[in-house]
Amino acid sequence: MVDTPVRAPAPADMSDLPVLNVRPPRQPLIAVALPVIVVVAILAGWEAWVRIAHVQRYLLPPPTAIAQALAGDPMRFIEAAAVSLGAALGGLLIATMGAFSLGVLMAHSRALERALYPPALLLKVMPIVAVYPLFLIWFGFGIWPRVLIAALITFFPVLVNTVIGLRSVDPQAHDFLRALHASRSQVFWRLRLPSSLPYLFAALRISVPLSLIGAVVAEFLSGASGMGQLILVANGDFDTPALFGAVIVLAALGVSLTVGISYLERRVLDWHESYRGV
Amino acid sequence: MEVRDLSHRYPSSAGEVVALERASLRVGAGEFVSIVGPSGCGKTTLLRAVAGLIAATGGEVRVLGGAPEDAQRAHALGLVTQEPGLLAWRSVEANVRLPLEITGTSADVDALLERVGIAAFARYRPGQLSGGMRQRVALARALAHGPRLLLMDEPFGALDELSREELRLELLALWERERIAVLFVTHAIHEAVLLSDRVVVMSGSPGRIVADVAIDLPRPRSEALESTPRFVALTGEVRAALRDASRGLR
Repeated sequence: MVDTPVRAPAPADMSDLPVLNVRPPRQPLIAVALPVIVVVAILAGWEAWVRIAHVQRYLLPPPTAIAQALAGDPMRFIEAAAVSLGAALGGLLIATMGAFSLGVLMAHSRALERALYPPALLLKVMPIVAVYPLFLIWFGFGIWPRVLIAALITFFPVLVNTVIGLRSVDPQAHDFLRALHASRSQVFWRLRLPSSLPYLFAALRISVPLSLIGAVVAEFLSGASGMGQLILVANGDFDTPALFGAVIVLAALGVSLTVGISYLERRVLDWHESYRGV
Repeated sequence: MEVRDLSHRYPSSAGEVVALERASLRVGAGEFVSIVGPSGCGKTTLLRAVAGLIAATGGEVRVLGGAPEDAQRAHALGLVTQEPGLLAWRSVEANVRLPLEITGTSADVDALLERVGIAAFARYRPGQLSGGMRQRVALARALAHGPRLLLMDEPFGALDELSREELRLELLALWERERIAVLFVTHAIHEAVLLSDRVVVMSGSPGRIVADVAIDLPRPRSEALESTPRFVALTGEVRAALRDASRGLR
């Protein structure tokens, strides 16, 4: 036999739903150790310079002061982060569901796409800072205006990628289904939806950090609660260590969310070129 | 399956293109008919019109006594294309099961995989297989729902010569057992002669049918046939028809 398989057997599952494929970690220790060493070196240099040069604390606090700010009142950061995270993910969820549904309609009808794309683009170019006061008037100072800002800022990437993804089907596979007189819904569930998943994940990678930015900006503007308010208060107090702490917490949130999405993507899209080590 | 005076024109940036000009062709029940011709002679257009994937601008297509759409609805068509168009997220077995899900029919998928020699790879994904194996999956998928007309558009065109040879012989053996009607588009003359009951020769721009060569070689056939005088004579006849057609253009 000339044809030989080039890879190990795939998992036994065969549905259109994602197949969970657990991979052993392959990263050598050095890949983890090197960035850690670099970060530690930077922090040590920073600490030393601030102490030796007697830099003012409100200009640039030493890393130890930032650590103290974080460790001294961790609940302050945790509670604020939870509020921001809730608004960001709530907004992302609403935007993803709405944009995906709209994308399905637009992918099936050029007329609908032409009609709906300009208003959707309007949503994208609208500065959220300008819209936010309106949201405050309409929805009050609760969590909703922030959720909606996060939704607004993440809507467009998901919409555009959904439309492109649902249209990026293998033409030969599509022909095969058409020759069998497959219905629109059969083509959607068996071909279009799975084909769109790589695009949807690409959109989520963009949207996840955006949603966090949207939520924090909204909190910053309203000053009611969350990381945005924490930053606002710390800024008013010239509490620079807390400001740095907020930056670190937000960065950690962003990284965790991105890693989470990547993990999910890796498991759902193990069939895709981008994960087959090509 | 019958095509009468089929014409197809479509607009392009360089003016109207005549892809097909009054082509007529018949494939009887259980007959294996090949179409050979140069690239762009409209052979794929003809096949796509028969499959109901495009509506030709003139003439008539009858498949099993009805329109191509009726044949689609009756699940009477099986399609194999040059790029197999398998679903990358499905296993081999699930890919072959796809037409059964669409048509609501059932079949012994394991036996089918056995028949095309891919039973051992049932749980693999298409991305883990070679081109030849993928094309076997495409063939199994096209046969799964029990079509009465198999449409093959250069199915081995993207393969290396060794896999091509191997799949050609397997298709030959498979067809001689099952005997369903096949319309087979290729540009390899000896492939067409080895497999077919008739070879239809087309010329390009505009796409016309210029010859219809009956292949009276005995069945079952094998590759040993390729060195017989009759085989050589028939390939010569097809080649001459192609040459005449291209000379007629100048």
